[in-house]
Amino acid sequence: MNLSFFDQFMSPQLLGIPLIMLAMMFPTLLLPFPTTRWITNRLSTLQLWFIHLTTKQLMLPLNKGGHKWALILTSLMMLLLMINLLGLLPYTFTPTTQLSMNMALAFPLWLATLLTGLRNQPTTSLGHLLPEGTPTPLIPALILIETTSLLIRPLALGVRLTANLTAGHLLIQLISTATITLLPILPTVSILTSLILLLLTILEIAVAMIQAYVFVLLLSLYLQENI
Amino acid sequence: MPQLNPTPWFLTMLLSWLIFALLIQPKLLPFIPTNTPSNKLTQTTPTLSWNWPWT
Repeated sequence: MNLSFFDQFMSPQLLGIPLIMLAMMFPTLLLPFPTTRWITNRLSTLQLWFIHLTTKQLMLPLNKGGHKWALILTSLMMLLLMINLLGLLPYTFTPTTQLSMNMALAFPLWLATLLTGLRNQPTTSLGHLLPEGTPTPLIPALILIETTSLLIRPLALGVRLTANLTAGHLLIQLISTATITLLPILPTVSILTSLILLLLTILEIAVAMIQAYVFVLLLSLYLQENI
Repeated sequence: MPQLNPTPWFLTMLLSWLIFALLIQPKLLPFIPTNTPSNKLTQTTPTLSWNWPWT
Protein backbone atom coordinates (compact mmCIF):
# COMPACT_ATOMS: atom_id res chain seq x y z
CA MET A 1 0.00 0.00 0.00
CA ASN A 2 2.88 2.35 0.82
CA LEU A 3 4.61 2.02 -2.53
CA SER A 4 1.41 2.89 -4.42
CA PHE A 5 2.01 6.51 -3.40
CA PHE A 6 4.66 6.67 -6.13
CA ASP A 7 2.19 5.61 -8.83
CA GLN A 8 1.35 9.25 -9.50
CA PHE A 9 4.85 9.68 -10.97
CA MET A 10 4.57 6.92 -13.56
CA SER A 11 4.78 8.33 -17.08
CA PRO A 12 1.10 8.26 -18.07
CA GLN A 13 -0.03 6.25 -21.07
CA LEU A 14 -3.43 5.71 -22.63
CA LEU A 15 -3.61 2.79 -25.07
CA GLY A 16 0.08 3.19 -25.83
CA ILE A 17 -0.14 6.96 -26.41
CA PRO A 18 2.30 8.81 -24.13
CA LEU A 19 0.22 11.41 -22.34
CA ILE A 20 3.33 13.20 -21.08
CA MET A 21 3.38 14.84 -24.48
CA LEU A 22 -0.02 16.43 -23.78
CA ALA A 23 1.10 17.52 -20.32
CA MET A 24 4.20 19.19 -21.77
CA MET A 25 2.32 20.83 -24.64
CA PHE A 26 -0.39 22.31 -22.41
CA PRO A 27 1.63 25.43 -21.39
CA THR A 28 1.81 26.31 -25.10
CA LEU A 29 -1.94 26.81 -25.14
CA LEU A 30 -1.74 29.24 -22.25
CA LEU A 31 0.76 31.52 -23.97
CA PRO A 32 -1.03 34.06 -26.19
CA PHE A 33 0.52 34.81 -29.55
CA PRO A 34 0.90 38.51 -30.34
CA THR A 35 -1.65 39.85 -32.82
CA THR A 36 -1.08 42.55 -35.40
CA ARG A 37 -2.87 45.07 -33.22
CA TRP A 38 -0.99 47.94 -31.61
CA ILE A 39 -2.84 47.63 -28.32
CA THR A 40 -3.26 43.97 -27.47
CA ASN A 41 -5.49 42.37 -24.88
CA ARG A 42 -4.86 42.23 -21.15
CA LEU A 43 -3.43 38.72 -21.19
CA SER A 44 -0.83 39.64 -23.79
CA THR A 45 0.09 42.80 -21.89
CA LEU A 46 0.42 40.85 -18.66
CA GLN A 47 2.57 38.25 -20.37
CA LEU A 48 4.72 40.97 -21.94
CA TRP A 49 5.22 42.68 -18.60
CA PHE A 50 6.19 39.43 -16.91
CA ILE A 51 8.59 38.39 -19.67
CA HIS A 52 10.25 41.82 -19.62
CA LEU A 53 10.65 41.56 -15.86
CA THR A 54 12.16 38.07 -16.12
CA THR A 55 14.48 38.88 -19.03
CA LYS A 56 15.81 42.06 -17.45
CA GLN A 57 16.42 40.28 -14.16
CA LEU A 58 18.29 37.45 -15.86
CA MET A 59 20.28 39.60 -18.27
CA LEU A 60 21.50 42.23 -15.78
CA PRO A 61 24.62 40.38 -14.58
CA LEU A 62 25.53 39.10 -18.07
CA ASN A 63 27.78 40.87 -20.55
CA LYS A 64 26.81 41.49 -24.17
CA GLY A 65 27.77 37.99 -25.30
CA GLY A 66 25.45 36.54 -22.70
CA HIS A 67 22.50 38.50 -24.06
CA LYS A 68 22.28 35.99 -26.91
CA TRP A 69 20.93 33.59 -24.32
CA ALA A 70 17.94 35.81 -23.50
CA LEU A 71 15.37 33.82 -25.48
CA ILE A 72 16.49 30.39 -24.34
CA LEU A 73 16.69 31.29 -20.65
CA THR A 74 13.42 33.23 -20.54
CA SER A 75 11.46 30.57 -22.43
CA LEU A 76 12.96 27.86 -20.20
CA MET A 77 11.85 29.85 -17.16
CA MET A 78 8.30 30.24 -18.54
CA LEU A 79 8.05 26.55 -19.45
CA LEU A 80 9.24 25.30 -16.07
CA LEU A 81 7.13 27.83 -14.17
CA MET A 82 3.97 26.87 -16.01
CA ILE A 83 4.57 23.12 -15.84
CA ASN A 84 5.29 23.33 -12.10
CA LEU A 85 2.24 25.46 -11.34
CA LEU A 86 -0.13 23.43 -13.53
CA GLY A 87 1.02 20.30 -11.73
CA LEU A 88 -0.46 21.59 -8.50
CA LEU A 89 -3.99 21.31 -9.88
CA PRO A 90 -5.80 18.10 -8.90
CA TYR A 91 -5.53 15.11 -11.22
CA THR A 92 -2.74 16.64 -13.33
CA PHE A 93 0.61 15.13 -14.19
CA THR A 94 3.77 17.15 -13.65
CA PRO A 95 6.41 16.37 -16.30
CA THR A 96 9.11 18.05 -14.21
CA THR A 97 8.84 15.25 -11.66
CA GLN A 98 10.43 13.08 -14.33
CA LEU A 99 14.19 12.93 -13.92
CA SER A 100 14.45 12.27 -17.67
CA MET A 101 12.96 15.65 -18.57
CA ASN A 102 15.04 17.61 -16.09
CA MET A 103 18.28 15.90 -17.02
CA ALA A 104 17.46 16.41 -20.71
CA LEU A 105 17.15 20.13 -20.07
CA ALA A 106 19.98 20.54 -17.56
CA PHE A 107 22.78 18.51 -19.12
CA PRO A 108 22.91 20.03 -22.64
CA LEU A 109 22.49 23.58 -21.35
CA TRP A 110 25.23 23.16 -18.75
CA LEU A 111 27.47 21.55 -21.36
CA ALA A 112 26.76 24.47 -23.70
CA THR A 113 27.91 26.97 -21.08
CA LEU A 114 31.02 24.90 -20.36
CA LEU A 115 31.98 24.50 -24.02
CA THR A 116 31.33 28.20 -24.69
CA GLY A 117 33.76 29.06 -21.91
CA LEU A 118 36.39 26.55 -22.95
CA ARG A 119 36.21 27.65 -26.57
CA ASN A 120 36.21 31.44 -26.17
CA GLN A 121 38.16 32.00 -22.99
CA PRO A 122 39.82 28.71 -21.96
CA THR A 123 42.25 30.24 -19.47
CA THR A 124 39.57 32.15 -17.58
CA SER A 125 37.21 29.17 -17.56
CA LEU A 126 39.86 26.82 -16.25
CA GLY A 127 40.96 29.51 -13.82
CA HIS A 128 37.65 29.13 -12.03
CA LEU A 129 38.86 25.75 -10.85
CA LEU A 130 41.20 27.41 -8.37
CA PRO A 131 39.82 30.16 -6.11
CA GLU A 132 42.02 33.17 -5.45
CA GLY A 133 44.10 33.18 -2.31
CA THR A 134 44.37 29.42 -1.96
CA PRO A 135 47.34 28.28 0.18
CA THR A 136 49.88 26.47 -2.01
CA PRO A 137 49.74 23.01 -0.30
CA LEU A 138 45.99 22.90 -0.85
CA ILE A 139 46.11 23.59 -4.61
CA PRO A 140 45.99 19.97 -5.93
CA ALA A 141 43.21 18.96 -3.56
CA LEU A 142 41.20 22.07 -4.31
CA ILE A 143 41.49 21.62 -8.07
CA LEU A 144 40.13 18.09 -7.70
CA ILE A 145 37.31 19.32 -5.49
CA GLU A 146 36.41 22.15 -7.85
CA THR A 147 36.50 19.81 -10.87
CA THR A 148 34.16 17.41 -9.11
CA SER A 149 31.92 20.31 -8.19
CA LEU A 150 31.91 21.42 -11.82
CA LEU A 151 31.09 17.98 -13.18
CA ILE A 152 28.30 17.36 -10.70
CA ARG A 153 26.48 20.59 -11.65
CA PRO A 154 24.15 19.13 -14.32
CA LEU A 155 23.22 16.23 -12.05
CA ALA A 156 22.52 18.61 -9.19
CA LEU A 157 20.49 20.88 -11.44
CA GLY A 158 18.28 18.05 -12.69
CA VAL A 159 17.92 16.20 -9.42
CA ARG A 160 17.18 19.40 -7.47
CA LEU A 161 14.11 20.16 -9.56
CA THR A 162 12.95 16.52 -9.66
CA ALA A 163 13.40 15.92 -5.94
CA ASN A 164 11.73 19.15 -4.85
CA LEU A 165 8.65 18.60 -6.96
CA THR A 166 8.41 14.88 -6.26
CA ALA A 167 8.71 15.43 -2.52
CA GLY A 168 6.09 18.17 -2.60
CA HIS A 169 3.58 16.12 -4.55
CA LEU A 170 4.21 13.10 -2.37
CA LEU A 171 3.63 15.13 0.80
CA ILE A 172 0.39 16.55 -0.59
CA GLN A 173 -0.82 13.05 -1.43
CA LEU A 174 0.14 11.66 1.98
CA ILE A 175 -1.50 14.44 3.97
CA SER A 176 -4.64 14.45 1.86
CA THR A 177 -4.90 10.66 2.28
CA ALA A 178 -4.53 11.15 6.03
CA THR A 179 -7.24 13.85 6.01
CA ILE A 180 -9.73 11.67 4.14
CA THR A 181 -8.96 8.58 6.25
CA LEU A 182 -9.30 10.49 9.52
CA LEU A 183 -12.59 12.19 8.58
CA PRO A 184 -14.96 9.42 9.85
CA ILE A 185 -12.70 8.47 12.77
CA LEU A 186 -11.44 11.76 14.30
CA PRO A 187 -13.10 14.74 12.56
CA THR A 188 -11.29 17.42 14.58
CA VAL A 189 -7.87 15.93 13.77
CA SER A 190 -9.00 15.70 10.16
CA ILE A 191 -9.79 19.44 10.12
CA LEU A 192 -6.36 20.16 11.59
CA THR A 193 -4.77 17.98 8.91
CA SER A 194 -6.72 19.80 6.22
CA LEU A 195 -5.34 23.09 7.60
CA ILE A 196 -1.84 21.63 7.28
CA LEU A 197 -2.76 20.62 3.73
CA LEU A 198 -3.78 24.19 2.92
CA LEU A 199 -0.51 25.58 4.25
CA LEU A 200 1.42 22.89 2.40
CA THR A 201 -0.32 23.75 -0.86
CA ILE A 202 0.65 27.40 -0.43
CA LEU A 203 4.22 26.27 0.23
CA GLU A 204 4.16 24.09 -2.87
CA ILE A 205 3.03 26.99 -5.03
CA ALA A 206 6.00 28.96 -3.71
CA VAL A 207 8.35 26.01 -4.24
CA ALA A 208 7.08 25.53 -7.80
CA MET A 209 7.92 29.13 -8.67
CA ILE A 210 11.20 29.22 -6.79
CA GLN A 211 12.50 25.96 -8.25
CA ALA A 212 11.83 27.13 -11.81
CA TYR A 213 13.64 30.40 -11.04
CA VAL A 214 16.57 28.65 -9.34
CA PHE A 215 17.07 26.31 -12.31
CA VAL A 216 17.34 29.19 -14.75
CA LEU A 217 19.29 31.39 -12.34
CA LEU A 218 21.94 28.74 -11.82
CA LEU A 219 22.26 28.25 -15.57
CA SER A 220 22.74 32.00 -16.00
CA LEU A 221 25.39 31.91 -13.25
CA TYR A 222 27.23 29.09 -15.01
CA LEU A 223 26.98 31.19 -18.17
CA GLN A 224 28.36 34.26 -16.38
CA GLU A 225 31.51 32.37 -15.47
CA ASN A 226 32.08 31.22 -19.03
CA ILE A 227 31.12 34.05 -21.34
CA MET B 1 10.60 4.98 -7.99
CA PRO B 2 8.85 5.07 -11.36
CA GLN B 3 10.95 8.02 -12.52
CA LEU B 4 13.93 5.66 -12.71
CA ASN B 5 12.18 3.31 -15.11
CA PRO B 6 14.31 3.66 -18.27
CA THR B 7 11.57 2.78 -20.78
CA PRO B 8 10.10 6.26 -21.34
CA TRP B 9 13.38 8.13 -20.82
CA PHE B 10 14.33 8.61 -24.46
CA LEU B 11 10.84 9.70 -25.48
CA THR B 12 10.53 12.13 -22.57
CA MET B 13 13.94 13.65 -23.24
CA LEU B 14 13.26 14.05 -26.95
CA LEU B 15 9.74 15.40 -26.41
CA SER B 16 10.86 17.94 -23.83
CA TRP B 17 13.46 19.43 -26.19
CA LEU B 18 11.17 19.38 -29.22
CA ILE B 19 8.37 21.10 -27.33
CA PHE B 20 10.76 23.61 -25.77
CA ALA B 21 12.55 24.50 -29.01
CA LEU B 22 9.73 24.27 -31.53
CA LEU B 23 6.68 25.39 -29.54
CA ILE B 24 7.62 27.49 -26.52
CA GLN B 25 10.54 29.47 -27.95
CA PRO B 26 8.78 30.72 -31.12
CA LYS B 27 5.73 31.68 -29.06
CA LEU B 28 7.83 33.80 -26.70
CA LEU B 29 10.20 35.23 -29.32
CA PRO B 30 8.04 38.29 -30.13
CA PHE B 31 7.86 39.16 -26.46
CA ILE B 32 11.57 39.04 -25.60
CA PRO B 33 12.98 42.57 -25.47
CA THR B 34 16.19 43.36 -27.31
CA ASN B 35 18.73 46.09 -26.64
CA THR B 36 18.86 49.05 -29.01
CA PRO B 37 21.53 48.53 -31.73
CA SER B 38 24.91 49.80 -30.61
CA ASN B 39 25.55 51.69 -33.85
CA LYS B 40 22.40 53.78 -33.50
CA LEU B 41 22.13 56.97 -31.45
CA THR B 42 19.62 56.77 -28.62
CA GLN B 43 18.25 60.22 -29.36
CA THR B 44 17.33 61.30 -32.86
CA THR B 45 18.56 64.70 -33.99
CA PRO B 46 15.65 67.08 -34.47
CA THR B 47 14.94 67.85 -38.12
CA LEU B 48 14.39 71.40 -39.33
CA SER B 49 11.03 72.18 -40.89
CA TRP B 50 10.93 72.12 -44.65
CA ASN B 51 8.61 73.64 -47.25
CA TRP B 52 5.82 71.35 -48.15
CA PRO B 53 5.77 70.79 -51.94
CA TRP B 54 2.23 72.05 -52.39
CA THR B 55 2.79 75.36 -50.57
